[in-house]
Amino acid sequence: MIYDIAVLGGGPAGMAAAAEAAQRGARVVLLEESAAPGGQVYRAPPAGFTVPPDADSRAGDALRATLRQSGAEVRTGCRVWGVGGGPLVPMDTQAAPFRLDALAPDGQSFAVQARALVLCAGTHERIIAFPGWTLPGVLGLAAATILLKAHGMLPGRRVVVAGAGPLLYAVAAKLLKAGAEVPAVVDLAHSREWARALPALAVRPDLLARGLLWRAQMLARGVRVVSGARIAAAAGGEALERVLVGDTWIDCDALCIGHGLVPATEATRAFRAAHRYAAEAGGWVPVLDGDQRCSVPFLYAAGDGAGVRGAAAAPASGRLAVLAALHDLGMLPDHAGARAAPARDFARAAKAGGAMARMMALRPALVQAIPPETIVCRCEGVTRAEIEAACADGAADMNQMKQFTRCGMGPCQGRLCGETAAELVAMHCGGRERAGFATGRLPLRPVAMDALLGDFDYADIPVPNAAPI
Amino acid sequence: MDVIAKPDRMKDVAHPIRIAGISRPADVAFSFEGRSLLAPEGENLAAALIAAGIRRLGEGQDAARPRAALCMMGVCQQCLLRVDGRLAQACLTPIYAGMVVTAA
Amino acid sequence: MFDVAVIGAGVMGCSTALFLARAGMKVVLLDRGAICREASGVNAGTLTMQMTRAALIPYALRAHEMWLRMPEWCDGGHVLATGCPGLSVAFTEHEAAMLEERAHFRRQAGAPIELVTPARAREIEPGLSDRVIAAGHCPIDGFTSAYLTGRAFRPALLNAGVELRENCGVHGIKPGFAVETAAGVVQAKRIVLAGGVWLQDMAAWLGVTLPIKVLVNQLVVTERMPQVMRTVLGVASGLLSLKQYANGSVLIGGGWQGIGDRARGGLAVKPESFLGNVRLAAHTVPALRDARVVRAWLGLEAETADALPAIGPIPGIDDAWIIGSVHSGYTSGPYLGKLLAQAICGEAPELPLFPIDRLLAQEKAA
Ligand SMILES: Cc1cc2nc3c(=O)[nH]c(=O)nc-3n(C[C@H](O)[C@H](O)[C@H](O)COP(=O)(O)OP(=O)(O)OC[C@H]3O[C@@H](n4cnc5c(N)ncnc54)[C@H](O)[C@@H]3O)c2cc1C
Ligand SMILES: Cc1cc2nc3c(=O)[nH]c(=O)nc-3n(C[C@H](O)[C@H](O)[C@H](O)COP(=O)(O)OP(=O)(O)OC[C@H]3O[C@@H](n4cnc5c(N)ncnc54)[C@H](O)[C@@H]3O)c2cc1C
Ligand code: FES
Repeated sequence: MIYDIAVLGGGPAGMAAAAEAAQRGARVVLLEESAAPGGQVYRAPPAGFTVPPDADSRAGDALRATLRQSGAEVRTGCRVWGVGGGPLVPMDTQAAPFRLDALAPDGQSFAVQARALVLCAGTHERIIAFPGWTLPGVLGLAAATILLKAHGMLPGRRVVVAGAGPLLYAVAAKLLKAGAEVPAVVDLAHSREWARALPALAVRPDLLARGLLWRAQMLARGVRVVSGARIAAAAGGEALERVLVGDTWIDCDALCIGHGLVPATEATRAFRAAHRYAAEAGGWVPVLDGDQRCSVPFLYAAGDGAGVRGAAAAPASGRLAVLAALHDLGMLPDHAGARAAPARDFARAAKAGGAMARMMALRPALVQAIPPETIVCRCEGVTRAEIEAACADGAADMNQMKQFTRCGMGPCQGRLCGETAAELVAMHCGGRERAGFATGRLPLRPVAMDALLGDFDYADIPVPNAAPI
Repeated sequence: MDVIAKPDRMKDVAHPIRIAGISRPADVAFSFEGRSLLAPEGENLAAALIAAGIRRLGEGQDAARPRAALCMMGVCQQCLLRVDGRLAQACLTPIYAGMVVTAA
Repeated sequence: MFDVAVIGAGVMGCSTALFLARAGMKVVLLDRGAICREASGVNAGTLTMQMTRAALIPYALRAHEMWLRMPEWCDGGHVLATGCPGLSVAFTEHEAAMLEERAHFRRQAGAPIELVTPARAREIEPGLSDRVIAAGHCPIDGFTSAYLTGRAFRPALLNAGVELRENCGVHGIKPGFAVETAAGVVQAKRIVLAGGVWLQDMAAWLGVTLPIKVLVNQLVVTERMPQVMRTVLGVASGLLSLKQYANGSVLIGGGWQGIGDRARGGLAVKPESFLGNVRLAAHTVPALRDARVVRAWLGLEAETADALPAIGPIPGIDDAWIIGSVHSGYTSGPYLGKLLAQAICGEAPELPLFPIDRLLAQEKAA
């Protein structure tokens, strides 16, 4: 069977997209890696866990309920590893239906096909390398929200919170509430940057109020908030024991650190869609029209994977994408009418989201401060000095740097080191546009080989005519 | 150079690392590197190991880059372990009774 | 005015340029992209005799030696070349017969290939499946990390005085020679076309019709894992090449075809090819079941009508030369570049070239 629409990713964007498509009578399938839809911000707690409701969990539950009622086919626990079809066909052949290859919860691989594909793969966290960042006990700032909200777990008992953006204060407040000690919040931004962001936040009084409350809680609990500062180093034996801020060592057993969010563009890159570098949206993003259409026909991107705009904007962009897809498939006569509301919602939410995304944009000074011997690529053990030596040897873009050093060839597939490495290459070759990005490759995530083997018979393997001797 | 040290009173305050006010399924037994542990059934393995005070999940390819949970969302691959002999990411694995976890 | 303009900086262009410059010529090496980023930087890096055409064995043996000693002749540049035994295995009677025939011809050409029993094969390669019924064993085999090729050649080229112009695509050649690039015209007394699968387009600039078939080869690599094998492994059908690097990653190849073409490059992995290739790999080395695949990619390999190389002068055009379309061309590459440089410098090459007159005549007849 060929679906009308396949949606990759069940965060707020994907959930809203699939629900909208099903409500309008399309045959739609949503593939999501987690056990339940929700995405990063509305991640559902594990089965059997009941977490007291808050604003986020209520928003997530509402999206999940709408999705359930819509009748969309939702396949959770399915990790998509392959994309194909569409423009990825031999020369002079017609575009094919899109194809997603995924691993089912039972570990076996299966494929779905669809006439249109909406990519809602979200983001991952940017963590710029610093000495000691490989110590256990150092974890992501966004990662901490998952640990705290979905798993009900503190990352440690004495936790330093550092990096950039609104998650800093959200995490610190949550930690305090749950009984952790927070010796310091180390914010890359100066207070004047927050002041500049305020007008854009005025459209979201709820968020503004929440932020002010967090801030007040912090002051009340005597948390040291250090503005315009970074973690210079982390140290410890088996695991993290202390971090260095300025010339002060702070004892702690966990450090939650994040330097912003990076759109997940592995699928749009694999489809060879056009991309542009937009630092204020998190980095490389697919080029889109006002309705989330990529440069590849019948391919759409929505949510933070299309450029970081935050949780509130994601559902609206998911809806916009699906409405455009239905229109392009000839299944939606009144496109203009249907898109008006989500377009308005998106514009409004994206304003506040955009201001936050700007706070989380990459700060080159952070990369410049990395000492030469610091490991940048954890999977392959590549240091800043090795990356710079490769640049000196003539690597003038990300692909060549990768070839010369193996940086980005490991199992994280460059997601962890990519931003730091690209910035280093950019310093040598004259900017991120020139540095480009590593070509999109399959599998989108590492795949266990035994999952791909299935039951096969040696005789099934197609043997071509033997090459001449 | 300044040091903001752990206040002494903190030393032995073992406040729970599992956040209160959440209802969880009953504990089940599992093991990590031969050590028997308990955690609520279905709890995330990476989280359960943090609760057990285990942050270093293995030495990986090089002690300079030990295994540890970093992104908690399946992307960084730094939390790779073996669960009942198969490679698995701790942050994507729920606990079940009798599961045998070893370093990868 | 350069003595020679070499167009295409893959292994063929780089080695030709290097030996020309060392012989005293003033050389410019032009590539539309970065050095060794097409076939020569993305190939499986096998230095194999069992997959090399019999006619190329003498060349491959000499090149094998060159790769292993690369730092000595390439100013320290290296591709982590590793010598090890190679096994080509058979799972069926048909494949066993194929092994025997192929080993015979390659032995005649000088490759020390002997047929061994399954038990002996498993002594040589303990990781091997017990379903193997026969194997060809060649003690001279090995592998490299092909992604290092550009980095290995670059300093030596610059030291030898080659003017390397990357990101400088050529779009035409006028007699004389005026090589037309995006960054202006480059004058040279001689030209060498070294454009991999794009040789067909390059020959057309000179009015020569030389059909070149494009193979879109897929490769798959696993995450680092404990040692599961220590040889270079292939299957008699040619559908598998397998090796494990010192860092623990296992590279799986065998010429499975993906989607791509000259215009768009290697475009997309074909899921069926991907699955077939990894299944065959795990069938051959069962411990691979435990691996995780981290990346698959594609590269374009060139083939002439008779699957033999195009190396020599271009008939009818003085001082124009061509090099490419070599089966297992990475293995033989550096030696072939050296041979062509000898010919261009007016010496008699150590071993004969593969002039393209035969291919052009065929084309005319057709
Ligand atoms: C950990 C984290 C916490 C965040 N917290 C906040 C917050 O509190 N407030 C806020 O405004 N923003 C937050 N953000 C930003 C966040 O990206 C968005 O606000 C919001 O979640 C975006 O929704 P989305 O649908 O675009 O993507 P996501 O919510 O990221 O959803 C993408 C989904 O796609 C799935 N997916 C991706 N690749 C595959 C694949 N190959 N196969 C199968 N499934 C796949 C993922 O599992 C995920 O569920 C957070 C981001 C992260 C990473
Ligand atoms: C996936 C794959 C696996 C392989 N595995 C093996 C193996 O294991 N062992 C083995 O021996 N062989 C292997 N081969 C074959 C081997 O890689 C090739 O034979 C060899 O690399 C060809 O080298 P080349 O220099 O002729 O071509 P290329 O390396 O393709 O170089 C051609 C160059 O010409 C440039 N060019 C093209 N057009 C222009 C233009 N208009 N202007 C300027 N420059 C231009 C290109 O950018 C390119 O750099 C494999 C090939 C592939 C694709
Ligand atoms: S913590 Fe990053 S993949 Fe598990």
